[in-house]
Amino acid sequence: MGGREATMVLLDENGIRCDGRKVDEPRRIMIRAGGLKNADGSAYIEFGDNKILVGVFGPRDVHPKHMANTDTGILRVRYHMEPFSVGERKNPAPSRREIEISKVIKEALEPAVMLDKFPRTAVDVFIEVLQADGGTRCAALTAASVALADAGIPMRDMVAAIAAGKVADTVILDVNNEEDQAGQADMPMGYMPNIGKITLLQLDGVLTPEEYKKCIEVGIDGCKKVYELQKQALNDKYFGNRD
Amino acid sequence: MDNKRKYVIPGDVITTGPFRPEQNVVLDGNKIISTTVGITEIYDDSVRVIPLTGKYLPKINDLVIGKVVSHTSLSWELDINSCYVGFLPAQDVFGRDFSAHADELSSKLKTGDLVAARIANFDRTRDPLITIADRDLGKIDSGDLMKIAPSKVPRLIGKRGSMIQMIEEATNAMITIGQNGWVVVTSDNHEGLLKAKKAIQMVDEKAHIANLTDQVKEMLESRSES
Amino acid sequence: MANIIDELKKNQILELLDQGKRIDGRNLDQTRELSIEINAIPKANGSARVRLGDTEVICGVKIQPDRPFPDMGDKGIFICTAELLPLSDPSVETGPPGPDVIELARVVDRGIRESHMVDLSQLVIEKDKSVVGVFADNVAVDYDGNLFDACSYAATAALLSSKTPKWNWTDDAPVLAEGEESAVPITTIPVSVTMGKIGNHIIVDPNADEWASMDARITITSDSDGNICALQKGGVDGFTQEEIFKCGEISVRIGAQIREKLKEAQKGA
Repeated sequence: MGGREATMVLLDENGIRCDGRKVDEPRRIMIRAGGLKNADGSAYIEFGDNKILVGVFGPRDVHPKHMANTDTGILRVRYHMEPFSVGERKNPAPSRREIEISKVIKEALEPAVMLDKFPRTAVDVFIEVLQADGGTRCAALTAASVALADAGIPMRDMVAAIAAGKVADTVILDVNNEEDQAGQADMPMGYMPNIGKITLLQLDGVLTPEEYKKCIEVGIDGCKKVYELQKQALNDKYFGNRD
Repeated sequence: MDNKRKYVIPGDVITTGPFRPEQNVVLDGNKIISTTVGITEIYDDSVRVIPLTGKYLPKINDLVIGKVVSHTSLSWELDINSCYVGFLPAQDVFGRDFSAHADELSSKLKTGDLVAARIANFDRTRDPLITIADRDLGKIDSGDLMKIAPSKVPRLIGKRGSMIQMIEEATNAMITIGQNGWVVVTSDNHEGLLKAKKAIQMVDEKAHIANLTDQVKEMLESRSES
Repeated sequence: MANIIDELKKNQILELLDQGKRIDGRNLDQTRELSIEINAIPKANGSARVRLGDTEVICGVKIQPDRPFPDMGDKGIFICTAELLPLSDPSVETGPPGPDVIELARVVDRGIRESHMVDLSQLVIEKDKSVVGVFADNVAVDYDGNLFDACSYAATAALLSSKTPKWNWTDDAPVLAEGEESAVPITTIPVSVTMGKIGNHIIVDPNADEWASMDARITITSDSDGNICALQKGGVDGFTQEEIFKCGEISVRIGAQIREKLKEAQKGA
């Protein structure tokens, strides 16, 4: 974490980024569906150097009771970073940043989940960042969607996520930590690939109207790639051994 | 349109034809979309997905296995492995002359007890009402509790009970299956108990496999002959 | 953990113990399978992912300059924490930790601290002004009983694998000396062994069902010399003198076996 020297080359003359990737190339992504014994559904994702574990419980009784809604089940999301997940030891108490990210991830999942059949219940999504490396919210959202599917929570679509951004006046896919610190823009995006709706979108940085459009296009293409890996993770767990 | 069973995850488009959407699917324009991880089933003009995961949603008249988790002076609360806690009123056990002053609930059922029960009533506004006042219902005094995915209960029962009959006959075990995925296995014979448990575990792990019955049969026979 | 065990299982556990057997087939003084993955969190200064049966704990070690405690200007700081993540079990609630979790964290911390595993006298940057702080944070991600030992093994394994950066005292501030890393100074390897008492039986490393059935428990930590360095009794029943002697003997004997596994795990790293 912290500032890097301004001398770092984010994009060289051959269009190669500081970690050796091409402009439209995501980092290495590995997703596993399931894995936790006690959770109703779970997933683990490695997204570059991000390592994130997600557990889902529910639908289940709501505590405290006053949060319950008599018309529908409710979705609750907690995004939390371990003290050892970042450069300097993080205080274990939730920060304002974690509370905001919890909220945007919840609102990115809500268009997909269908809880009207489960009035007075809650679905709890617990996201634990074990190691952070830029783009944790996208990696977390991607894994949360797999964990919800693993728990059998009805969903009209998966939600896949990745960030687009800008470094050295060039639009790139999947912003890493260095690019986030020293780059010009970071645009995390969540997308329902079959329905074609963007459910998470944020932007830090300055884009021209043309770059803005390009970022959206690059982001959607990236989400589609991530979606293929989500599918594969669920297929491996549920249909891996067909004979 | 091919009627082959397909493996699907949420968001997968199953078909675009003029079909009637049933369980675990939604209609989006003319597309029928799966809402869960499961196997598609298309028959006549309807489409549904048989889920491979998910919690038990109570249905009236279902047989379930429940665990007593607490009680007040008027009722017990039961964990029925569901989205909702089961509600067993004292009258159901003590009868009409139940008196909150004279009758102590823990004399009949205490925390940790298992019961075979039926869902007497359930709707969107209330927690499921449980009854144990019927033949074959009530406190379970012996056996091993196993937990399988509720979505796999139909597979464990099999067509007209074929799977469960096969397991019971081969192992001499008695198996009570709750629709909520909790299963109690009882047997006088230790070997038979272990084998029955193994068979149930196999069904839980391999429910999506087409020739599951043959595989379970093979396992049951292989051990007994050795 | 507020898990309610079903009566059938509880009775079964008791019946089996009377025959000298356990519900998962173990001997009374046998731990579950222990797997240790070193460096699970490569960006931390040290880390380990430990599975004890189906209980899983991740420990990450962070090492950074800190101000010394008053009157302890010639010693570095060591702090070990433990937390149950809400995804580890449906009964875990978010928010401030309850008494059980606070006890867990303190017992794990005490076992390592009282053994003097980390030589804190070597972790001074500038006496009375700046010292090295070593933070070992445990998080439980899956629960199947006996978090005491799982956290203790995770923290110990993580500390054994930790590398500390070096800081120099320059212009009244600690300045990182690039590229000068060394192993954390270790003097001994503490190992905790937790035993449960069910009826008159003493069992090692109780799983969740046994944990929910037991009347009392005791956690005993021993060091590399086979000395006992920390101890915690819990639960509603008591132990006889004879039982306490027996638990002491078991903890040193089983502890020595676990210590070899902790050493072995470091070699693969």
